[in-house]
Amino acid sequence: MQPHEVFLQQLITGLSNGMIIALIALGYTMVYGIIELINFAHGDVFMLGAFLALTLLGVLGMEAWSPTWRIGGVAIMLVGSALFCGGLNWTLDRVAYRSLRRASKLSLLVSAIGCSFICTNLGLFWGGVPMEVFAGGVAAAAPKDFPQLIPQTNLLGASAIRITPADIAVVVVTVPLMIGLVFLVNRTRMGRAMRAVAQDATAAALMGIPVDRVIGITFFIGGALGGFASVVYALYNNTIGFQMGYRAGMDAFTAAVVGGIGSLPGAVLGGLTIGLVRAMSDQYLETQWTNTIVFGMLVMILIFRPSGLLGTTRREKV
Amino acid sequence: MKNTLPTITFILIASLGLFASFAATAAQQSESSKGTLHLVSSLPRTGSANAQTSTMVNGIKLAIEEVNGQIDGWTITYQDLDDASPQRGNWDPTVEAQNANAAAKDRSCVGYIGTFNSGAAKVAMPILNRAGLVMVSPANTYPGLTKPGTGEANEPMVYRPTGKINYFRVVPADDLQGTQAANWAKSLGAKKVFILNDRELYGKGIADVFQKRAKEIGMEVVGFEGTDAKASNYRPLVTKIKAVGPDLVYFGGTTQSNAGQIAKDLRAGGYEGLYMVPDGCFEQAFIEAAGDSNLNDKTYITFGGLPAEKLTGRGATFREAYHKRYGSDPEAYAAYGYEAARVLLDAIARAKTKDRAGVLAAVAETVDFDGVLGKWSFDANGDTSSKVMSGQTVKNGKFEFVKVLGD
Amino acid sequence: MRGRFGAITIILTCAAVVPIVDLALPESLRISEAVRGVFLYAILALGLNVVSGYAGLLNLGIAAFMAIGAYAFAILTCEIYPFQVGFWPGILLTLPIGALAGFVLGAPTLRLRGDYLAIVTLGFGEIVQDLLKNLDTVTKGTQGINPLPSPSFGGEAWTASDEYKWYYLLLAVLVIVVLFVRNLERSRLGRAWFSIRQDELASRSMGIRVERVKMLAFSTGAAIAALAGGLSASVLSSTGEPSNYDFQVSILALCIVIVGGIGGIAGVLVGALVMVGLNSIVLVKAAAALAALGIGGQGNVLLSPNNWKYLIFGLALVLAVRLKPDGLLPPRIERSMR
Repeated sequence: MQPHEVFLQQLITGLSNGMIIALIALGYTMVYGIIELINFAHGDVFMLGAFLALTLLGVLGMEAWSPTWRIGGVAIMLVGSALFCGGLNWTLDRVAYRSLRRASKLSLLVSAIGCSFICTNLGLFWGGVPMEVFAGGVAAAAPKDFPQLIPQTNLLGASAIRITPADIAVVVVTVPLMIGLVFLVNRTRMGRAMRAVAQDATAAALMGIPVDRVIGITFFIGGALGGFASVVYALYNNTIGFQMGYRAGMDAFTAAVVGGIGSLPGAVLGGLTIGLVRAMSDQYLETQWTNTIVFGMLVMILIFRPSGLLGTTRREKV
Repeated sequence: MKNTLPTITFILIASLGLFASFAATAAQQSESSKGTLHLVSSLPRTGSANAQTSTMVNGIKLAIEEVNGQIDGWTITYQDLDDASPQRGNWDPTVEAQNANAAAKDRSCVGYIGTFNSGAAKVAMPILNRAGLVMVSPANTYPGLTKPGTGEANEPMVYRPTGKINYFRVVPADDLQGTQAANWAKSLGAKKVFILNDRELYGKGIADVFQKRAKEIGMEVVGFEGTDAKASNYRPLVTKIKAVGPDLVYFGGTTQSNAGQIAKDLRAGGYEGLYMVPDGCFEQAFIEAAGDSNLNDKTYITFGGLPAEKLTGRGATFREAYHKRYGSDPEAYAAYGYEAARVLLDAIARAKTKDRAGVLAAVAETVDFDGVLGKWSFDANGDTSSKVMSGQTVKNGKFEFVKVLGD
Repeated sequence: MRGRFGAITIILTCAAVVPIVDLALPESLRISEAVRGVFLYAILALGLNVVSGYAGLLNLGIAAFMAIGAYAFAILTCEIYPFQVGFWPGILLTLPIGALAGFVLGAPTLRLRGDYLAIVTLGFGEIVQDLLKNLDTVTKGTQGINPLPSPSFGGEAWTASDEYKWYYLLLAVLVIVVLFVRNLERSRLGRAWFSIRQDELASRSMGIRVERVKMLAFSTGAAIAALAGGLSASVLSSTGEPSNYDFQVSILALCIVIVGGIGGIAGVLVGALVMVGLNSIVLVKAAAALAALGIGGQGNVLLSPNNWKYLIFGLALVLAVRLKPDGLLPPRIERSMR
């Protein structure tokens, strides 16, 4: 491979990975935007979404489907995981977070950490389901292979640079979702209600906005984005495991902060930045330093822009 | 304080649970004619290593069941201790020390099977050494634990504060496996190798040995990188690998540290050369994690011993018994666990006095042991004398034995 | 009237008699060794409590300072390095080294607002891990550094089996740390911390030098965490792997502080007892007991008690904050100020 080909390839890889991170980061940033909770369980909700997708794949026997039908299969998984993760996130809010609205933010954080542990354990159990896709469930904790529904063949033929249908799928799923989300938040009644609650929950309640319901719906949407992301992640990486929520969540959370937490375009920008920095650092520095580079960059960005790349500086309430 | 009630309830429930568990532990002290000899294993049972340690515990239990839990009228009891904690998701030094201390204090305990991670062994070894309790590891491969001159200057004496050897392992150390792997890589025709390691004690250690040997025998090492075991994929790294064009990629690591994902990304990224991994990946879970099509025909796995289907005599019996008991073929780790337990049981049977000192002496005198990993003895350092290394490949989603590695 | 000095005294006195009760119990029921682990986490959490409880700065990377303490102690004392200063100087030096590390992280970042600071501390935790792993010529990478010295009072150096000596040493250090932070919270500096936590802007206009005060909180917390790290390394006679000080440890420390009652010493002690006790006493003994009863076997993931640990730990966290949102033993001042 020529040096410029290597660079282009890393650009493509970095963007694909970055899109997936961005999609997860959107779920973080939505929830943070509305109740200022770093939702630690988000990464694990995302992980469970991937397990659901693999279960659907196994139950419906999608591996045997023809290529056209497989696209339908992907759509089924996307919808299924999104509804499931959305519902799960909504349930967590209802059961574990809602009663803590008036408590300190830190209690809420601990509740989210607790939910994260619970979800991790559920993922472990899920991996033990005796189905063929989970390798009979014999080794529950082992990583699970997620079959290649979208092939990883090179669309550019014999070229040294590879763009695969999986890369395309990432873009095809992610970009419309991002646009739809921006539309939802900025142009719809529900979006306006969300922004009002984020701005000032008490005032919003006084204006007749059902605050708890709006927050619940935000959790649902955030979770659903995690569900979409889980399917894209699984199709792209072809492996899922019960501990995958940790790194995915950590990357996405970092992305949300780099972009300016609470800002939707910020989360996307942050995700892409992290994806690209990771790829370039792997290539031009040493892989073992990549995490240091990513977090070092985070510190640098925050030193010069204390509210992230696209975040607005909010005055602390006095 | 109007909110005292929940607090009290909380503490009450917690202490009830505590009490119930104590009562249960106390209730199970069994009786027999001559007394009880206790074995424990200390392996990471919570978190990602669970898959491997489960098969290991299966092997240990099978060995004990085979003697019906009785030797010479003594009852053999066994306890499966967890050296991981939920919040770590991996081995926890505090818990390991706790396990070792508990075993050291329990006078009926005559054998300690563990640890899984060499790092954990470093914590447990001095504690058990002082207690004179024999420790047989089914998995530690860090050479410095037993062999002078392979690790730090003060190793391994630092693990033997009493000066006596109480630590034995049934698996060959990394220095053997890494060297054999490099030799094999060369004989497979590899000229340029790219070496990866998972930056953990086992993976880094074996990758270092591989690199040293590869250079000695004239292979070109075109890259040496430490990976992140928690990364979601390794595509950028694969591009980097492809750009320098190696014909073999060696990964020092385990299924847990993502050997499967690396295989997958290598193929998805269009790398077409060979891929070699050590015995940490010699388990069906590796093939399942990687997907067979990514491994078939181009993946090579080294292993300290012979694979189950090549075993004869003692090993073949083991394979049948294991299959009958658990419904699947034993994997590498099951064989290691079984071997470790059998060494102890064999020593108990031979021991002149059925206590710690007797069992320790008997383990040290293990000679020409007819085990599932071959016929072997413990050498003066406590290492297995077995130098049998086998190489396998993957065909049609199954491991297939290729040859016995040797010089 | 803040404090709850009575509660603190009761807890520490109970802790002092545990080994005596322990000796009367059969081997399988003894817990003093596990309680020792509680002390270490209590010291770590007291350090975090200075940062997050007193000054209100969310710190998600306290384990990094613990790691720095452990490795500093190891490099200063281990026989494979040239320094070999011995146990006591080594342990005491972890304090300034930890404080310095806190300063290095804090200096550029302390002006960040709430959760932005939190993510920087989280990132710092990851960076420290990478440094410890990658700079292996100094830190021995993933091998860990061993053996490490233990204290001796004239006689022979202790070993891990001198458990009661260790027990009382750690308890003594815990008492010293408790007295230290108790004095801190009543000092001028302590009042400044409470003030900036309540209202940074108002404190600034009252003449409190907010940056300096925050910095002191950060460094103090880091120093105490480093002390916990040095002690834990000495108890184990090894630093263990760098990943023994990862994010999960920071999270456990944070849970201890919040479940116990953020901002109060008694709360932190109770939190450490409940969280670490659940982890290393209740779950361990319960799993062992179930296994001994023959419950738990192969074939089904649900049957092994070990597979339930995450779930139980998570449920405990959710229930604890659900039932007691301010913690099990919240500091009294919090109530009066609501």
